[in-house]
Order: sequence, then C-alpha cells, then structure tokens
Amino acid sequence: MFRFIMRKLHFLHLLHHNPLQDKNKEPEKDPATTLLTKDLQQNLAKLKKILGTSNDIIIRTFTFGSNNIEAALIFLDGMVDKTTVNESILLPLMYEYPQSKSDEDSSWNNIEDIQQKLITVGEVKKTYAVQDTILSILSGDSILLINDLNQALIISTRGWEARGITEPQTEATVRGPRESFTETLRTNTTLLRRKLKDPNFTLETLVLGKRTQTDVAIAYLKGIVNPRLIEEIKRRLNQIDTDAILESGYIEEYIEDNPFSPFATIANSEKPDVIAAKLLEGRAAILVDGTPFVLTVPMLFVESFQTAEDYYSRAYYTSILRLLRFLSFLLSILSPALYVALTTFHQELIPTPLLLTMAAAREGTPFPAMVEAIGMGIIFEILREAGVRLPRPVGQAISIVGALVIGDAAVSAGLVGAPMVIVVALTAIASFVVPAQTDVGSILRIFLTLLAGFLGAFGIAIGILGVLVHMCALRSFGTPYLSPLAPLSTGDLKDVFIRVPLWDMFARPRTIGWIDPQRQAFRLKPEPPPKKD
Amino acid sequence: MNKFSLQIKKMVVLLLVLTLIPFMMSGCWNRRELDKIAIVAAGGIDKENKDKIKITAQVFKVGEIKSPQSGGSATGKPYVNFEGVATTSFEAIRKITQIASRKLYWSHNQIFVFGKEIAQEGIEKYIDFFVRDHETRLMVNVLVSKGTAHEILTTETDLETIPAMNINDIIKDLGATSQAPQITLKDIAERLLSKTSAAVAPLVEVQEINKKKHARIAGTAVFKKGKMVGELTPEESRGYLWVIGKVKSGIINVKTDDGTKRASLEIIRANNKINADIKDGQLVITVKIKEEGTLNEQDSPKNLTELPLWHSLELLQAAAIHREITAALKKSQEYNADIFGFGEVVHRKYPLLWKDLEKQWDELFPYLKVNIEVQAKLRRSGLITKPISPSTEE
Repeated sequence: MFRFIMRKLHFLHLLHHNPLQDKNKEPEKDPATTLLTKDLQQNLAKLKKILGTSNDIIIRTFTFGSNNIEAALIFLDGMVDKTTVNESILLPLMYEYPQSKSDEDSSWNNIEDIQQKLITVGEVKKTYAVQDTILSILSGDSILLINDLNQALIISTRGWEARGITEPQTEATVRGPRESFTETLRTNTTLLRRKLKDPNFTLETLVLGKRTQTDVAIAYLKGIVNPRLIEEIKRRLNQIDTDAILESGYIEEYIEDNPFSPFATIANSEKPDVIAAKLLEGRAAILVDGTPFVLTVPMLFVESFQTAEDYYSRAYYTSILRLLRFLSFLLSILSPALYVALTTFHQELIPTPLLLTMAAAREGTPFPAMVEAIGMGIIFEILREAGVRLPRPVGQAISIVGALVIGDAAVSAGLVGAPMVIVVALTAIASFVVPAQTDVGSILRIFLTLLAGFLGAFGIAIGILGVLVHMCALRSFGTPYLSPLAPLSTGDLKDVFIRVPLWDMFARPRTIGWIDPQRQAFRLKPEPPPKKD
Repeated sequence: MNKFSLQIKKMVVLLLVLTLIPFMMSGCWNRRELDKIAIVAAGGIDKENKDKIKITAQVFKVGEIKSPQSGGSATGKPYVNFEGVATTSFEAIRKITQIASRKLYWSHNQIFVFGKEIAQEGIEKYIDFFVRDHETRLMVNVLVSKGTAHEILTTETDLETIPAMNINDIIKDLGATSQAPQITLKDIAERLLSKTSAAVAPLVEVQEINKKKHARIAGTAVFKKGKMVGELTPEESRGYLWVIGKVKSGIINVKTDDGTKRASLEIIRANNKINADIKDGQLVITVKIKEEGTLNEQDSPKNLTELPLWHSLELLQAAAIHREITAALKKSQEYNADIFGFGEVVHRKYPLLWKDLEKQWDELFPYLKVNIEVQAKLRRSGLITKPISPSTEE
C-alpha cells in the first residue's frame, strides 16, 4: 500500500512538471501579444475580441478637432472614476481642442502634445503593445486610442468603491492607533507612508497571479533591512506561478520555509503601526492587493507573544502580561494532557484533598479521562468554529447552547466530570490569549493529550521534546525561529519575557536588525536636570 | 526519485514511525482511572492469632464525600475499613482485593497504626513491605495504639470526615504541646537500621467522650530493636523532645508565691546541643538546652515582671525543663533504649573509639552519665505587665 501511495505521488509530481507551459507558448499569434496598428477600427476590433462582450466594458468613440480626428476611450465601468474620465479627458479633448486650432494643425496630431497639454490627469503613459492596454483597462485605467496613431495613452483613472479605514477586527487595542489596513493596496501603502516619513521607505511592486494579476508590494526600510532578505523574498515571490492570489495567505503558503510545520513562519497583521514597528526592526513586509492582512518576515516565535500595546503602555504591567501570555500558551497546550496524565497515571502527585474531589467528580463517569479530554476538546473546537462561521445575529444562540452543553448538561448528565469542564474551559480561554498560535495550540493539545493518555507524563515529556526539537530546527527566511532564546542572544531578552522601558532598548533585534543595530541614543533615561551650583 | 518525492517519502515514513511508537513503548504502564482505585487513607496492623496478622485499610468512599453536584447529601460514613488476614503484610493486602471491588491505592496513605501486640512482638518484619513497595509512602505518620489498630481506625470524628484525616491533623498539631513526637515511617526505618539508637512513635489511645469513642494522643512508645519495650508519659515525652531539639511550643507551669499560685509560661523557641566528652576515662554526655519563653498567664496578684521575681520565674522554668529531661532520661535508661541517639553523638566525636563502644553500648547506656544544662529566658509578658487584679497590699 505504501508503494502504491508513493507511485501516485510520483505520478502527480511528473504531471506537475510536464511541459504544459510549452504548449501554451505554441500559438504565438495570440492577439494580446501583438502591437497596436495605425488603424483605429482594427485596434478596437482586436480589443473587443480580447475583452469579450461584457457589458461593463465601455468603448466611447468620438471625434475631436476640426479635422474630426477619430478617437476612442475604453474603460471598465465601475473601476474608473467617472469625474476624471468626464472632466479631465473628454472635456479637454472635445472642448479645448478646437480653441487651440489656431495653432499649427500638424503639431496637435502629435500624441505627445495630447499627453503634455490636454489630459489633466496625474499619471499618463504611452504604449505600443496591446497587452499593456488590456492590463490597464482591467486594472481600472482608461485607454485613449487615436486614429492614425499606433500608440495608446494609458490614463490613470482608477477609482472604485472601497471599504473605508476601520478599526482592526482581529487585533483589538485599548491604547494605540485604531486604524487598520483595507483591501486597497494603495490605501495600505499610504497608511505606512504616513507612519514612516523616511525616504528610505521603499516599495517594490510586482504582479502575481496569471488571472488575478494581483499587485504585491514588498515594503522595507533601506539601510535597516538586510539586502539579502529582500533578494530572498523576491526570489521566492518570483517562483510563484499560479493563476490566482486572492489573499496574502496564498503567498504565505508559497514562500514558507517549512511548509509541513504546524508553526507559521510568516507573521501577519492588519495594523499599520505594527507593520511600521516591524519594518523599523529590520523586517520586510509583503502587502497584497485585496486583503487587509500584511505579511512580515522573518517571524520569530516570541513575536506571537508581543502586541502593539506592549509598547504603548508602561513597562511593568506589560512585563507581567508577557509572562501571563507565555503561561497561557503553556496552559492551553498542556492542561488537558497534564490532567489526563495525572488522573490516569500519577495520582500520587495530586494533593490528597484535591484527589478526593476529583475522584468524587469522576465517580460514575463512563469514559476514560483521555476520551473525555479529547471529546470535550472536539466539542469546544466545534463551538468555536460555529461561533466564527455563523452570521452575527445567530451567534448568541451558539454561546448559550455551548455554555449549557459544555458546562452544565454534560456534567449533570454524568457524561464527564466537572474538573474536566474546568480544564477545557481554562484551555479555551488560555488559547485565545495568544491569537497567533491558537491554531498550533489546538494541534499540539490533541497530540499531547493522546501521548499523555498512552504514556503518561513520560509521553508529555517526549511530545514537548519533539516539538522543541522541531522548533529549534525551524527557520524563517534564514532566522532561527526560536531566537533570541535559541540561539541565545542576551541583549534581545529585553523584549521577550519582559519588556524593558523603551529608553533601555538601545539596539534592534540582533538576528534581524544587525545591518544598522543602533536604534536610539544612549542614556535616554529621563533624569532630573543637573543641579546648578 | 527526485528531491520532491524523496522529501514526501521521508515525511510519510516519519509519520508512520511516530504513530507506531506510542503503541510499542511501555511508558508508564500502571494506567488506571481515578474511579477504578480505592484511595487508602490509613493502614493498621493487628495480631490476629499466633502466626497471622490483620491489616486494616481505611479507604475513602469518594461517592460519600460531598461532590460539587450532590451538595453533600452524604448518607453513610465516608469511609470503609477493609480487613485482610494473612501471615505477611503483602499477602494480607492482596487478600483485601477479594472483598474490595477496587484495587487499594496506597500513595495517599496518611497514617499507619500498629496494634500494641504487634509492636511488642516487633514491627520490623511487617514494615518491610511498606518500605520496599513503590506505591506506599515513607512519609506516612506512624502511631502505636494502646489497644488495637482497628479500634483507632473506627473512632468517631467531629470536624474531619474520616478517622485517618482526623488523627493525621492531630499529629500535625503535636507541636502545640510538644508532648509526643511526630514520627514517619522513614524515621522508624532509619532508627531500625542503626545498631544503638532506639525508635519511638507516638502512642494513641481510645477515649470515651459523651459515649463516643475518640482517638487521643497519649505519650510515646519506646522501641528497642524493633520491639516495643515501654512507654513515656506526655511529660517524659517532652523531656525526650527537649534533648533531640524538637520542642516547638508548649506550656510550662510553674508555682509562684511560695507555691501557692501558678503561672503558665509558653515555650517560644528552644535549641539543643549534645556533646560527648571523655573525662577521667569516663564517657560523659552534656546536653545543653537554650530556651526562650513568655509569661502568658498568672494568678498571682504580684507584678511578676519586676526584676527579682522575673529572674526567679526564669529559674523555675529552667528547673521544670530539667525535671522533664531527667525523667525521660531515667525512663530510657530503665528500658535500656537509646532513644536520644547519644550513641551517634559519640560515634561522631570518637569514631575510632566507637568501634569498641558500639558492641558494649547496651551495657554502657543504662549507667551513662549525662549532664543537663538548661538556660531558660523569659522574653515578654503578653500585652500587659501588671496583673489585672493587683494585690491590695501595694
């Protein structure tokens, strides 16, 4: 059976690498790859053929000037800003052209002049290729074709209905900026620009996805980021050869370091201040058009335990919260496993009074503790998933049913013991404290609970050891996933389990920002003014 | 095979291995659910007949202990005593499985009671199992019953739910009077291993209060080579505790005003120092006690905190301590049981000489000369200095 699976995989692999692309290249006479001709009608026919007959494609033919020069403006309804089209393209051409007729006619036939003197739009480009015009139309630009000219003007008229900047849905803050990224790439880069008024802030754009033609931007701070990181990102991005990029998650899966690891090695955030801070530490961000979630690389494990608010509120409480988050993460992956191990293998480790209450609660429950733990875990995951997927108004019903089923009914029906409910509830709450690792937590929890059920504390130790070994082997774009803990860089511990005051965070993280390590001046600790003698 | 499928193949193999490993490894093999074990709270050994013993195991009835749902509607007693009769401890315990539906679980055993007959016969052969087995605890508190162990384990309890917990809590509070030692199985085992030192254990008896049988601590049982040879009264027990430095607190009553009135002094802290010397070819043990106390109660109308009186109180206190120690020493020499561990002190001081002394320690100990030096101080007199009913003479 094993060989059968292997052969199937091998076959699939061969299919994938068969020269499909070469087949595509054969029909060289694809109209999209040709050049524009001087005949307007021919050009229009070509475009119509490529774009099809969808009714949102507007082809506005008109004549202008005393010579009645034929021209056509092509754009996609809904993707363009109508005011720009009407007042900055059609109006100057159709009204102002005749007035300028007193000048020499010949000069006005020049496409340069139209671009230079008539079109009052910020961004205008020229092109000879049909391909470019098609792409521009599909991205919301308008194309001006003029008879007798084998060039087209690409006029930037992009403008469509977009969601405004709202509060982030996934990362709530009490203190700190409340804006979040939107689905529009340009808005997102603007949000970053407004945070980083630095000429070194660089955006490199590329287009991914054969059919979606999604704009992807790599953002970084030149001089802080490691140039080899940018090279590596570009190399990995350019390898993506797929037909659709609909969300940054698509990109994440194509460029991950270890695709089979349960741990995410690419971080994401929808808060501009978070992304700006990460850029300032020497990371690079990948912005994708169509999603508010921006990716940052490299990602460290400890990043999951840091929130934006840690740096906005004072250091003491933040440090306590940090420790609390680490504790919560451990609780969320370990508590069902520990409960199972203690109650089925190591009863001698439980204090006697606690053992008695636990034994009393377990009296008469039908299933072994491990089955109980995994069953309750599954019920909780179902409830969570239902809560996320359900339409908001129905969501309340889920929480009531969940509270009754998980909490009370299961215990009074004698299906599970009351301590198990507490363990599951604690696990559930604790797992939400570190949202970035919630999915990993669920997987590890089941894995460790199974091990605990079969092997007791020994199994938990083996499981944890395995996970640790795996984490130590993980890399995110060349950076060890567990740094600064393993390999240890003591200076960076200022921002791991505790957060020291900002004035003491002199250097950028060593494994990431070593190109320009100094973040601020020394001796920034606030002090009273020196005494005047 | 190319790189891609090799990687996949490695992954699949690894996953298969990982899933198979748990079934092949033994891990912690003793898997049992909480509702399949009988948690033993106390164990007891009695003599059944000439060559058989009876093990009593007190087991929690967890169903009767108030659980969060049932809200304490407990009807019967929350414990049950199982008895097994056999020639050895282990066999007797295993016999209990023939009457109990669950296997006994000894890891939470709180106390272990020896019946007087067993104690006099010798405990060492019966505790071997409890020291050897992995499930039983060495830190279990050991007691000797003045009657049988079984009767101790069937006494009534008022505040606690079961006798085992009741007696265990009493033992934990022994320091308040310091009139009986707290002894664990480990202490007993250590003393049994020593050739000269003798083991002790708190004595427990049944006392009827309002026609209800209650367990009560009543002094100390003295062992000699694993056999119980005698008893110490509560006062002698404290004398013993003074010497080994285990007095935590307690009350010393002294007579004031020429023996007409009484004052109660509380022991706050005490230090001991035992030293061995050879003077003029004779072995002399010196016991130095430093004690601090407070005046906690007086019925004398005089202001006892005034200096000459205060000093006399201190002297009376020292004398009382001296008396207790002398009494304990006398008893132990009478039983020829070195409960104080003087032999080990000599061993540490004169390791070479000890080789000879060890053999004749039994002859030496009853006539051993022991100097007792007590230094007692009073530190405070509570919240008031003068008595609330001052004498009319002043």
